[in-house]
Order: sequence, then C-alpha cells, then structure tokens
Amino acid sequence: MPVDFTLIVVLVIALALVFDFTNGFHDTANAMATPIATGAMRPKVAVGLAAVLNLVGAFLSTEVAKTVSGGIIREGDGGVQITPEIIFAGLIGAIVWNLITWLRGLPSSSSHALFGGLIGAAIIGIGFQSVDYNVVVAKVILPALIAPLTVGVVAFIATRLAYFITRRDAGRADGRGGFRYAQIFSSSLVALSHGTNDAQKTMGVITLTLIAGGVQSVGSGPQLWVIVVCALAIAIGTYTGGWRIIHTMGRGLTDVKPAQGFAAETSTAATILASSHLGFALSTTQVASGSVIGSGLGRRGATVRWGMAGQIALGWVLTLPASAIMGAFAAGFALLGPVGIVIDLLLGSLVVVLLFRRAQRSRISHDNLHDIDDAGRVVKIRKTPRKIARRDRKKVAL
Amino acid sequence: MIDWAAFVVVAGASLLGSVVVVSLYSLGLRLLTSAGRALVVDPQSFTGAITILTPKRAAKEAKRARKTASANPLTVGQKRLALVGAYACFVLCVGAVLYGVYLIVPALHR
Repeated sequence: MPVDFTLIVVLVIALALVFDFTNGFHDTANAMATPIATGAMRPKVAVGLAAVLNLVGAFLSTEVAKTVSGGIIREGDGGVQITPEIIFAGLIGAIVWNLITWLRGLPSSSSHALFGGLIGAAIIGIGFQSVDYNVVVAKVILPALIAPLTVGVVAFIATRLAYFITRRDAGRADGRGGFRYAQIFSSSLVALSHGTNDAQKTMGVITLTLIAGGVQSVGSGPQLWVIVVCALAIAIGTYTGGWRIIHTMGRGLTDVKPAQGFAAETSTAATILASSHLGFALSTTQVASGSVIGSGLGRRGATVRWGMAGQIALGWVLTLPASAIMGAFAAGFALLGPVGIVIDLLLGSLVVVLLFRRAQRSRISHDNLHDIDDAGRVVKIRKTPRKIARRDRKKVAL
Repeated sequence: MIDWAAFVVVAGASLLGSVVVVSLYSLGLRLLTSAGRALVVDPQSFTGAITILTPKRAAKEAKRARKTASANPLTVGQKRLALVGAYACFVLCVGAVLYGVYLIVPALHR
C-alpha cells in the first residue's frame, strides 16, 4: 500500500500547484492593471515585476499557510485523521467552482472556493466534527466580512487626504499627475502582499496533505521545498496571466484617477500585509474591490450604485457554501477508494472541457480584472464642469 | 476563541500605514509644486487608458504648470527649501514602506 499512498499525495500536490498557478493567473490584474493602464510601466515590465514580487512575497511570511494547515481541519491528535483523498476532493470542488464562476462571469474568490471545497469534503468524508468552526469563523469568515469594509474606510480617508494635501487654487497646476509615478511602487506592494497571502494557501494545503500522509509531523509549518514550489507556481501563473490584461486594456477600465489609484493600492497592500502577518486568510480580490469602492467614494460627487454592490456581495457570500457542495460531492466519490479518485478526476476534467467548450461558443469570459472593474462601477462619479473650463470658454468666445 | 483585538490591530495598522505613506507622498508632490517643479506627465510616455489625456489637455496642463512656476510668490531660498522638503518626504515615504515590510517578516526578527 505505501506505493498507492505516495501516488495520491503526489496527485494532490500536483493539483494544488495547478490551483496556485490559476490563482496567480487570475490575480495579476489586481496589482498590475492600473499601472499598465495609466502607462506607468510597460506591460511586459509590469507583469514581470509582479511575478518576481509574488515570488518574494511568498517567502516573507508563512502565517497564513499555518492557518490553513494547522487550523481549519482537525488533522489528528484527539481530532479525526484527515486523508489525502479528502484534500484531493476538496481541491477538485474548489477548481470546478472557480471555473464555473470564472466562465459565467460571477464575482467570486478563489481563496474562499478553496476553503469551501476543503470544508465540504471534510464534512462528507469524515463528519461535522472534523472542521474547526471557531478557526473558520475567526480566520476566514469574519476577515472576509470585516476586511473589505475596513479597507474601504481606509482607502476613503487616504484618498481624501491625498486630494486635500495636493489641493491648489483653480487654474494652478496641482502636480497630481505625479501620483502616476507613485503607482509604480504602490502596485508593486500589492503584488508583494499577494504573495504573502495567496501563495500561502496552497502551501497550507500541501503541508496539510503531507501531514495527512504521515510524511510530516502534526502542527509543523511548511517545509522549504513546499515554499519554493508554491512561490514558483504563483509567480509563473502571474507572469502567464499578464497577456490577458494587455488584451483587455483596449476596452478601458473604470475611471480611476492617479491620486485615487495610489491611495487605493496603498490601502490594499497595507491591509493584506497586516492580515498575512496575523494569519488571516483573506481574499485579495475582495480587499482590492473594497478599496476601489472606498477610494471612489473619496472623490467629489460620488454616489453608490447599491444594486450593483449587492450583486457583488451576493457572489461573495455564495462562494463558500457553493464550493463546499462541490467538495462534498467529490468527497462522496473519493470515499469509494482508488476507483472514486479516478471518477473524480474524470468528472473534473469533463466539467472543465464542457465549460471551455461553452465558453468558446458563447464567448463569455471573466476574470478578476472585471471583478475589480465591477467594483469600480459601484461608485458613480458626477461629472461637474470645472470652473477653469468655463472661464476658458468665455475667453474663446470673446 | 475569536481574537477581536487582532482585527483592531489589522485595521489600525492598515490605516496608519496608508495615511503615513499617502500623506508623505502627497506632501512631497505639494512641495515639489511649490518649488516650481510640478510634475507634468508627458502624454507620450503616459498614454493613459484610465485618465485619457488629449494632446490639447496635456498642453493646457503644461501651460498651467509654467504659469504656476512663474507666478510663484516664494523666494529662491524658499523654493530650494521646498525642494529639499519634497525629497525628504519621498525618502521618508520609501522608508516607511520598507519599515512596514520589515515588521512583518519573521526571519528578520530572530
């Protein structure tokens, strides 16, 4: 049996790395859409920088990985033994739900899909007592509710400050164009913070698998090779995801001013970095969306489109239970033994192929670029004609 | 157990970090403008898919910057002081970011 055992562990690690890759692939836009759009950096440079900073970020702090590997699922010692098969089922559930939302254009969070899948699989595979609900509430659900709100408030204050400090008399140069240079750095920080939070989730899953497989002791943190492999996977994903941004740029983004963008990115990076340090497993997309909305409200004449905000929030709320159901289904098959694993793999690939077929036919595609863009559209900015413009018009008339 | 204090710490840290970094950079820009060196972004290098700058609008911005510089009430010495202040703000801003990253890396605290 040891051969079988290693095979399933290797399979789970491979699947986890695929998940990590797609995570980086999706999230390049979170950090680098703005500087590419404002022309602060050339696309290839921006995407390359984002990849390198994700790589570095993954090494900086492994607190979130410990939350995932040691907190959510009770892996042993008085709890219930989790098996690699169940983690495998959870990953399948997460990946399938991610693809469905991605292709159908629903707002979602890959991190929450991962947790949902794992929780669903553990409940079906082992039982309700296998999930540590305290940790789920304290480190996943509450941060998901609180972080977008606090980052929104912070971004609002930061945007107001940026405009207040640089205000000038009408008709004078205010130098706000200089915020574009600052965006090079603030977006780099967002990429770095992404590595400290999102790369960690895969590290946590692989560590959990190794613990479940008996290769690693209970309660220990991620091993060095796991950190290196996950960091590489997310960095390569980030780099590969870049071409889509360049491709989408032609359609234009929400109207984000340099000062506003800088304030939003700084708040996003600060929130994610602080959360990573304390082991909160955040959704980076939700934080970025929250700060885009908050900073938009910090501008003059801004109002909220509540209907749209509600739609986005609904999509977020739906993610965890929906992926939990997917994970539960996959776990049901996985309990059948090796045959079930094969069925899971086949069903998973079938869903992937079918979804891509449909996506190609109807040309629906979705990614985080649109998530952030949707968030930007929640805020409506009233266009007030500036006094200077009117005065100029008079001059022309005279 | 839910550690509510941790949420307060995260919110406080992100507020403090963002306010410090954004204020320092904004102040730097403001001083730079006061020193008569307002950053006017060249529409050639910043094509701007987000803020679309037409050549006409960009020329207007450049003119405005020149006007601000010529109508600057500050003396030469004050301008120089403002410029030094601006660079000091930028340096402090970068320092604040580096310190923030240093704080969260456990490997640097052993």
